[in-house]
Amino acid sequence: MERFLIISKGTEMLRIPAGRLVYISADGNYANIVTQDNRSQMVSFQLGQVEDMIADQLGDAGGNFVRLGRGLIINTDFVYFIDIARQRVVLSDCACFYHDLTASRDVLIKLKAYIDTTINHG
Amino acid sequence: MDDEFRVIGHSTQQNIAVKNKRRRWWWVLTAGFIIVISIIVAVFSKKPKELPENPIEGVFEYVPEIIIPPVIIPLGTDSSLTATEKLDTIINDVHLSIYIPHNAVPELTVGVPDRNDNSIILAAQAADIRQDNRKILGAFVLKGEPLAWGLSKKGYCAIIDGNVTVGVSENSPLFEEATEKGGYFFRQYPLVDNGKLVESELKNKTMRKALCSRAGQIIVAVSESDESMHDFAQALVDLGVENAIYLVGSHSSFGWYIDKTGEKTLFAPDIHRGTYRNENYIVWRGN
Repeated sequence: MERFLIISKGTEMLRIPAGRLVYISADGNYANIVTQDNRSQMVSFQLGQVEDMIADQLGDAGGNFVRLGRGLIINTDFVYFIDIARQRVVLSDCACFYHDLTASRDVLIKLKAYIDTTINHG
Repeated sequence: MDDEFRVIGHSTQQNIAVKNKRRRWWWVLTAGFIIVISIIVAVFSKKPKELPENPIEGVFEYVPEIIIPPVIIPLGTDSSLTATEKLDTIINDVHLSIYIPHNAVPELTVGVPDRNDNSIILAAQAADIRQDNRKILGAFVLKGEPLAWGLSKKGYCAIIDGNVTVGVSENSPLFEEATEKGGYFFRQYPLVDNGKLVESELKNKTMRKALCSRAGQIIVAVSESDESMHDFAQALVDLGVENAIYLVGSHSSFGWYIDKTGEKTLFAPDIHRGTYRNENYIVWRGN
């Protein structure tokens, strides 16, 4: 059964299938949630708060998501390309979207190692 | 940290440990913050060492304290005629009429004064009379003759040798002096004692009247609207009155003044009212 991330505040509620969530970027005290349909939705929560929601609501299914530095949470299912030298990580489903993001070298090294480990042991 | 990498949602021991570590750090930081704030508050809220209220003065550089008392100028300007000068003022929203008798000698009378007596330029009811026996309430001396004794109210007025003294005292030697010198004496509620307001047990609001001493003058102050004793007395204090006692006021009190044009005006409307044998008045007769 598909899990949903529900972000609710005041008179608004956002309900996203976990598998359709591509990445979340920080924007000051807000967060931008980008989904597989190339839409971006801003929510009035900080990235850390959204991270806690993912952990609380998605449980082990949240394990697909990783926090990269202060400004990014990505869905590792959509990691298409990591370029540590150019500090790039590309998220794509090879069909509908292609997001070229930047992250620090150290974070990308850890991300690459994590994905390698997942392949080897998962 | 910008190089932070964290897998979200994995319930692995590693992630639990990371979370616990984060929580521990959060608590450590919070506790540290609270301690720092507490120290800052403690340091800044510490009272500075207070200077002694009365600093010790040096012998050679002694600086004498100079107190400049507020200058209170006598009221009124027209003193050439034998008449009552009337001034109007508003103090603390209290509309006061101030009556200043010029060239007249004060005295007390018992019984309603003759309103056709034009030598009386100012007349106002003085002491109250008792409800039970209709005798004068409080010590009263008429031309040296004591008509009533007893302390019912602490305010007093003594008229000795034509000089009016208004004050507040339980035992005033002026009662005996008035008796010896053929003077006058009566008691009333105190309103102002040496520039300080005296609270009264009368709490209702009505037209108020007072006999006041101010800057060497004796004046009669009347509120033109219904006032509490407190507000009336405070207005007198703010007017600069040094001592004041109440005079029988209310809308039914009788009395009049004659202005410089010779016109006689009653303090209150000439309504039908009962008169009492011991009704008494302070009047100023023209020279």
